[in-house]
Amino acid sequence: MATLATLAVAILALAAPWLLGTFWISLVTQMLILGLLALSVDLLTGHTGILPMGHAGFFAVAAYTTAILEVRHAQGFWVSAGGGVLVAVLLAVVFGLSVRTSGVYFILLTLALGHIVWGVAMRWTTFTGGENGVSNVPPPAVAAVRFADLSVYYYLVFVVVAVCGLGYRRLVRSPFGLALRGIRESESRMRGLGYNVFAHKYAAFVISGGLAGVAGVLYAYWNRFVSPAAATFHASAEAVLMGILGGTGTILGPFIGAAIILGIRNWVSGYVVWWTSVMGLVFIATVLWAPHGLLGLVRELRGRSAARRVSPPHAAAPDHTPAASTAAMRGARRPEAPGSPPP
Amino acid sequence: MTPWTPWILQALNGISMGALLFLLAAGFTLTFGLGRVVNLAHGAFYLLGGYLGLTVLRATGSFWLALVAAGAAIVGVSWACDRFLIRRTRENVLGQVLLTVGIAYVLADICLAFWGGSPLRVPPPEFARGPIDLPGGIVYPRYRFLLILFGVLVAGVLWLLYSRTQLGALVRAGVDDREMVDALGINVDRLFALVFGLAAFLAGLSGVAGGAFLTLYPGADWDILAYALVVVIVGGLGSLGGAMIGSLIVGLVDAYGRWLLPEFSYFMVFGPMALLLLVRPTGLFGREA
Amino acid sequence: MRRVTAALVFALVSTVVSLASAQEEIRIGFLAPLTGALAKSGQDTVRGHELFWEQQGNKVAGRPVRIIVADTACNPDNALSHARRLVHNEKVHFLVGPLCGHEGPAVAQVSRETGVPVFVPVAGADEITQWKRVPTVIRTGATSSQTSQPFGEWLAREGTCKNITTIGNDYTFPHEAIGGALATFKQAGGKVAKVFWSPIGTADYGPILAGIPAGTDCVVVAVVGTDRLRLLEQWYDFGYDRKYKIHGLYWLMSDVLPEASDRAVGLIGASLIWADGLETPEAKAFIDAYARKYKQVPSWFAEANYSTGLWTKLALEAIKGKVEDRAAFLDAVRATKVKAPRGPLALDKYDNPIQNVYIQKVVKQKHPVLGEIKVSVPVKTYEGVSQFWTWKPEEVLSRGPYARQ
Repeated sequence: MATLATLAVAILALAAPWLLGTFWISLVTQMLILGLLALSVDLLTGHTGILPMGHAGFFAVAAYTTAILEVRHAQGFWVSAGGGVLVAVLLAVVFGLSVRTSGVYFILLTLALGHIVWGVAMRWTTFTGGENGVSNVPPPAVAAVRFADLSVYYYLVFVVVAVCGLGYRRLVRSPFGLALRGIRESESRMRGLGYNVFAHKYAAFVISGGLAGVAGVLYAYWNRFVSPAAATFHASAEAVLMGILGGTGTILGPFIGAAIILGIRNWVSGYVVWWTSVMGLVFIATVLWAPHGLLGLVRELRGRSAARRVSPPHAAAPDHTPAASTAAMRGARRPEAPGSPPP
Repeated sequence: MTPWTPWILQALNGISMGALLFLLAAGFTLTFGLGRVVNLAHGAFYLLGGYLGLTVLRATGSFWLALVAAGAAIVGVSWACDRFLIRRTRENVLGQVLLTVGIAYVLADICLAFWGGSPLRVPPPEFARGPIDLPGGIVYPRYRFLLILFGVLVAGVLWLLYSRTQLGALVRAGVDDREMVDALGINVDRLFALVFGLAAFLAGLSGVAGGAFLTLYPGADWDILAYALVVVIVGGLGSLGGAMIGSLIVGLVDAYGRWLLPEFSYFMVFGPMALLLLVRPTGLFGREA
Repeated sequence: MRRVTAALVFALVSTVVSLASAQEEIRIGFLAPLTGALAKSGQDTVRGHELFWEQQGNKVAGRPVRIIVADTACNPDNALSHARRLVHNEKVHFLVGPLCGHEGPAVAQVSRETGVPVFVPVAGADEITQWKRVPTVIRTGATSSQTSQPFGEWLAREGTCKNITTIGNDYTFPHEAIGGALATFKQAGGKVAKVFWSPIGTADYGPILAGIPAGTDCVVVAVVGTDRLRLLEQWYDFGYDRKYKIHGLYWLMSDVLPEASDRAVGLIGASLIWADGLETPEAKAFIDAYARKYKQVPSWFAEANYSTGLWTKLALEAIKGKVEDRAAFLDAVRATKVKAPRGPLALDKYDNPIQNVYIQKVVKQKHPVLGEIKVSVPVKTYEGVSQFWTWKPEEVLSRGPYARQ
């Protein structure tokens, strides 16, 4: 069943440029890119249990690096893209020290660090162009192929995102991923078990930053224009929300979240001027009613229907026997078990 | 004009900005210290308060009434947000952060719908307009100078309440150890409601105060919140004294930074803060999160 | 609340209208900042353009005209995505806008990608009609330095300034405007004390004002949006009116004069292609119509867009309304000479208008409809100014764009 579904998705994905027009392909590409950013954030929120509010910083430095290397130094794809990811990783190595703090301090610190990146992008006009940004990024030329057409670039993005997704899957199913989730549940317990909690969190942060950088590189070639808008707090907050909305701790979740957020933004902003409120309401609704996102809701519903199957269907009165309630609890708790591999 | 004049002028710029930041940061830091609530809608409270105050000012012509009305209105708004929304995310920091961001977005859009996209200036009272001649041949905007005095006054009153009254002692104790105060039979919830209300009042009031020299515009909520966050991080969450010192530091660094190294002005404000946190993860005077 | 209802009504009406007249209508995509620091100026651009087409009954050559407005908030990123959306989704026939200088190259990029004609009434970025020309982009306004190059000369001569400090917003338009003014000012023998840059939407000009060096005799200003009012207020609050003269290269225009205090009277407000105190018949007719409809004197934002409407209409009439033939449309625009409210306009070989530049001062006047208002009247007029000033185009192009000083 799952393989059929994957096959169907793969075929749709490959045929997309023929099925959709330029505008929609551009949107789908954007969803993939921002979904990747949200995925990088989710490594920390969903698996490690810490909330970084400045990841747009890594996204933006990678985008700027790639754009500047291409536009001002004509370095070509491999150097520009590689440079972008490298700079993001280096920044994550520095900013990663923030995992020394915890709780609210970590949140506010990452927020401020992300703001630094935005501030530098805005005011270091001689280097970043400030508000003018870096424009006219040429389409990427990989080997002999020039991805000039947006529909063709979509394939490059799809391949890169798919590879990253598979690598990510490997990572979160490995003992490292297991340890992260253990840290999410209880840092002190993991420390007691002999794990180097700081090293794990730091490594996760750097990997996450690097992945955000990959998304940034893809963004630079998609938008062909990089400005401080890529580094704002709003961008970071949206990345967090996408992961949560779609379903934290999953791989598809962030992409689903990205699709929803971008869908809202594009569809709603075309018609109403108050689409920011819609975004705000989505934030609020997600936190209050779908804290594990859409995939979490789906899991809950599946769990609840499984529990219903356990208790006798024709009971005259609600069955409050210990056996039934345990079964119901087991059914409901199944998706919550720590360390269980994500779908 | 002496060679010292620009340095003194920038210092005054920094201190007056610090005064405004203190009004906002004091409430934010105490709200967290006592109730462990991170309210990222604090900036939106500032902006909404400013706009409401402006409307009151236009209707009545009284700046003082505008200040009080703005404060009172935001107390109401924050109460409603807490009662129906924020309260449901206690203990869930991630949820609280996202929830309050969502509230901020909605409030900001409401402001846009009612007051439009053009920046609006809150006209200061007659006696506070124009320049004031200070000793040493310094000429400085009268309003900003009075704002410094106002900030010092509020800081003084808050400090007295905090360190000399029983109520203040209860708040300090609650910041230190909430469970213990609870166990002593004090209604911590009511104490927290008081502090949260005071924070809201100051936020709304500071919107009017800030709107008089910075103007009110879409985005002002996040602009000011970013600075206020640096203040509370540097000063330490939960520390009133930290908020005072932090405001002064941030205001001065911002003023001198924008004058001497304009291309790195944001970095000057946020950079040292990041460094400080790496060395002292709870800020200068803060408690464990 | 009004905006919400308006938005809902617009959504409903546009759906109905688009269903009804999808085939024959001419769709114009209009990019302007409706929120943020430039909102007021942005509103003026919408109004000027709207007024023109309303006067035409919203049709040309037998085809109805529909204008679709998108809010860019003076942000190149938004301008880019809205431009793409208007072209791919709304299927507009041509774009008008954007307003902010740095949005110009971003929208030009979309034109290059899609081939959609773009008419730029306001955005001044020099490059789009000089080094980075896109054949489908025509400027109907002025370049950033076109209006400032005469000003530099004026500063040295009539302005009697010898050692100036400049304050400008930190993006393309002021970079080039001040760059142009300084080039001609220095050529006329002037000296520059200090150059300040501040981001758009700076709320606090205190640190900059406090940093103006002693020995300055004139302060030259090129700031946009609400920074204009903030700077004006803070200028007086710091008591600087007692110390230095202040001249606006780009500062006090009609969209901001109603809110500016009367202290602005007597100040040199701007060096621009339009002055709302112009007395020509075309200017008067336009000011009259605009004032009656919007209860305000039109700024250059309004005029530039009004005359763009006029220009596109004349061109469309020349090609019998066949806007789908992009090449013919663009050539028709190039061939048309316009008698605009601001004066005579003709495109140079680089698709930028040759026109008058007016150095203008703020005065108080009595208007028949609006009562006592502040307007800008020309104190000196430079006629037939091109984007290259008195230099040869090849000279300017080889020199390269004005760098951020």
